[in-house]
Amino acid sequence: MNPAVSPPGIYAGIANGLAVLLLLTEFAMLRAALLRAQVRLYAAQSLLVSILAVVVAATRHLPELYVLAGLSLALKVIVVPWLVSRMLRRTTTEIAGSGALGVASEVLVAVAVAAFGFFATSRFHISSPALPTTALGLGVAVILVAFVLMVVRRDVVSQAIGFFSLENGVSLVSLVVAAGMPLILEVAFLFDLLVAVVVFGVLMQVHHARSESLSTTHLTRLRG
Amino acid sequence: MPVVLILLTTLPLAAAVVSLLGRTRASQALTLVMGLACLGLAIALVPAAAHDSPHTGFLRADAISVVFLLGTAFLYAAAAVYSIGYLRAEEHREDFARYARRFYLGVNLFAWSMLAAPLVNGLALLWIAVEITTVVSALLVALDNTDNAAEAAWKYVLLASAGLGIGLLATIVMYYAGSTVAGQSYDLAFAPLLAAGTRLPHTAVQLAFVLAVLGFGTKVGLFPVHTWLPDAHSEAPTPVSAMLSGSLLAVSFYAVLRYYQIASGTLGASFPRTVLLVFGVLSLLLAALYLLEQRDLKRLLAYSSVEHMGILAIGIGLGAPLATAGVLLHVIVHAAAKGNAFFGAGVLVRKYRTKDVATIRSGLDTLPWTAPLFLLAILALAAMPPFGLFRSEFQIVAGGLAAAHNAVTVVLVVLVTVAFLGLSVATTRMLFTPGPRVVARGEPSAWMVAPMLAGLAVLVLLGIHPPADLADLFARGVSDLAGGGT
Amino acid sequence: MTVPIPVVQLLQVLTVLIAAPGVSGVIARVEARVQGRRGPRVLQPYYDLGKLFHKEALAPHGATWVFLAAPLGAMACYLTVPLLIPVLTTYPLPLGYLGDILGGGFVLGLASFVVAVAATETGSPYAQLGASRAKTFGAITEPVVLFVVFTVALITGTDLPYALAATVRSSAEQIVRPAHLLAAAALFLVILYETGRIPVETHTGTNEFGMIEEARPFEHSGPYFAMLRWGSAMKQLILFTILLNVFIAPWGLAATATIGAVGIAIGALLGKAVLLGVVIALIDNSFAKLRLFKITEFVAAAFLLAVLAVFTLYFGGG
Repeated sequence: MNPAVSPPGIYAGIANGLAVLLLLTEFAMLRAALLRAQVRLYAAQSLLVSILAVVVAATRHLPELYVLAGLSLALKVIVVPWLVSRMLRRTTTEIAGSGALGVASEVLVAVAVAAFGFFATSRFHISSPALPTTALGLGVAVILVAFVLMVVRRDVVSQAIGFFSLENGVSLVSLVVAAGMPLILEVAFLFDLLVAVVVFGVLMQVHHARSESLSTTHLTRLRG
Repeated sequence: MPVVLILLTTLPLAAAVVSLLGRTRASQALTLVMGLACLGLAIALVPAAAHDSPHTGFLRADAISVVFLLGTAFLYAAAAVYSIGYLRAEEHREDFARYARRFYLGVNLFAWSMLAAPLVNGLALLWIAVEITTVVSALLVALDNTDNAAEAAWKYVLLASAGLGIGLLATIVMYYAGSTVAGQSYDLAFAPLLAAGTRLPHTAVQLAFVLAVLGFGTKVGLFPVHTWLPDAHSEAPTPVSAMLSGSLLAVSFYAVLRYYQIASGTLGASFPRTVLLVFGVLSLLLAALYLLEQRDLKRLLAYSSVEHMGILAIGIGLGAPLATAGVLLHVIVHAAAKGNAFFGAGVLVRKYRTKDVATIRSGLDTLPWTAPLFLLAILALAAMPPFGLFRSEFQIVAGGLAAAHNAVTVVLVVLVTVAFLGLSVATTRMLFTPGPRVVARGEPSAWMVAPMLAGLAVLVLLGIHPPADLADLFARGVSDLAGGGT
Repeated sequence: MTVPIPVVQLLQVLTVLIAAPGVSGVIARVEARVQGRRGPRVLQPYYDLGKLFHKEALAPHGATWVFLAAPLGAMACYLTVPLLIPVLTTYPLPLGYLGDILGGGFVLGLASFVVAVAATETGSPYAQLGASRAKTFGAITEPVVLFVVFTVALITGTDLPYALAATVRSSAEQIVRPAHLLAAAALFLVILYETGRIPVETHTGTNEFGMIEEARPFEHSGPYFAMLRWGSAMKQLILFTILLNVFIAPWGLAATATIGAVGIAIGALLGKAVLLGVVIALIDNSFAKLRLFKITEFVAAAFLLAVLAVFTLYFGGG
């Protein structure tokens, strides 16, 4: 008996490698203490999504994905990070408040959560012609770790970045299982994201104006 | 008929554009006109949708969507009227012009997105519309610019967006499921997905449905992802609270219903029904318990919304045609009743300058019109005859017993009774307990009473004798949901 | 002309034994050059060892035989490991079946353990500090090595290092598969930790409170100290060899037992080790040392990479 796992092929290997890098940037966000670093990591992660879209477009002959990659590059790598870092400069806060957990425990929790994502995804037997299933599991893991990020961090910027990167995870999943989605819908999704980013920005500013900080630790008045 | 669909999705936008210009009187008048026009158009759609599904381009209306359209359009019109009185008390603000501009811009965009959601044809567009409702309403929640409002808005936008992230995942998984039948590239329209029926891959549809219940359920206010709801409802300006509670939750439930429709076409009804029953019962339980010990008037009504969303989920989960018809009726009457309750609560809060249930006393002496109307609205919410909610909940309970879901039905009845207890104790304290006269007798504004009278009329009408067209509409909706085509 | 197989086997050990200080010397030289210094001669480590072997050996008051046996034990361990891993050949040598990659890891762990025990024997606070820290962080790095081994086992279906090297050589697919890259990256981080490099500690003989690896032989002197130093250099070369010949660059190994092939293999190994050393020297110069508390995060990152490697393999053949 030979339990060896056979290699997935060069294309799948590269695609999976990019997806793994996406997950690693998500973990890096979990660790990053500087808010600026977090925004940069988000930009890097979005860049990876765009590159992956180009790879899929080239090998699977889906020319629409080039357009999508370009738009997502413009929006998620340039516009969104620019908007957020402009806001950061105004508020002159650099360091995120400490999270609810220590970094090492955060990573452990996130590893467990990501493992759950992998396990769950492998049970669904979803396969797609565009990308290997591992990428799907990785996408789900990115989404779950983004949730961890939103839960354990105690400042508005990290939480917002958590949501944006959650969307990156969904983009990864959609590259795997819905690569052929019509361009008009993809563009509408991106536009929607832009609107959400603007609203997040406005609310972050409202929050900062009211409380003179980006921390959310004191948001405990409303309960019951 | 297609022109009605186009008008319904453009009129609020026109009002929003005019609001942007910043003439408060003009935006008030136009919002009122557009609100009434949308209500009229929605009613005009009823006969057509009862027999046919008119569609044009990306827009499509069938029986189910028109039901939700009616609730939203009614609240849009009612809130437009109410806002005139509501804003009068804000006129002393230094930045009143700016406040009013933002308020009307937000309200119109909010109404637009909620009217568009049931009218778009396809799960992807539906997700987009629901996401727009989130971002617009989050800004409206923050409008009052207090510490509490900022906190509520942030929690709301974060939680709802995260939930909708799951909703997007559901959309994509459903896309995958559909692509095995419809080909790599298609637009997620309802009809082909429903027609594909059992040919869709089961696991994927199952996954998409659960994700959709969880994701859109965040916005419906289902347990355990309801936590944003009381905050947002209590901190938003009152007309917005009414729209949030009466129609936003329902519109999100509409999204769940669409996934339910597709899932039950593919998997058979038992799995999706079980999921909805579990979420519904838990939400109802939570809401009933919180209602017993609630000291904040607007949060009280917010938990009552959680309760009613739980009832909707249970009603669909029971699966009997009678119960399903009850659910569709419930959507409309809940919009009217909850609108009335919030409008009344808004007046009480205005008058007493507090949301604390323990501080508001002898309301019946102080507010000769609002207090009785508020009382009636609470009684309606508690499903007292002769109001519409009595009819709808009766149908749900009867349907549950007919479908031999005895245990769930009993739990439903018990919990609704507990909720009634919580609501009525708080209400009687506020209205009947005598207290020191702290405020002068008199209504703040007739504009704020008028929509409640209209709501009461709707509740009584639908409770005693629903129009025949509406009955046809429900019958059609029930057969659609039971898998009888589109 | 062919070399008898037992001689090749012996050559594997001798290469590591003899070349190890030289590789350290080259790295030190490159590092100095990058920093703009002239730096020590490449052969300086040999002179240092020679000098130390001629000095008298002292033991702290109260230290037992364990203290003196430890350098010998560690040295013996480091001489055993090259028997198990592909230092020079693509084909397994007779004693290669003595132990698998996990066995090699255990032998390295044993070496680290005896040194730590000797360090605690001394009663010197510095040496004990180093030993206890090494064991603390080792509690995380050793699972990392385990996960790396699991990855190898899943990829090849065996846990022989030769098999993985052969698999990697077999096709480009094997190189780009994420599990392999992740495992290699995790191993690289462990090597940075094990060889006492930035960002874990400064390794150039300065005494300070952050020491881990450098603190342990603090009380040893003379030939015993020389053996510990030599052992450290060998450990470094052994780890480099595992990373290079098993994971990232298993090329240039001898496929036959001819003198030419074996000679080329020795040259190739040293060349690759020096290149890797240059990379590490560059890293040394580009990053700051982490605070002691942050080292947990560093090794946690390695752990994460290794765990992800196993995950991607388990769920979909990554």
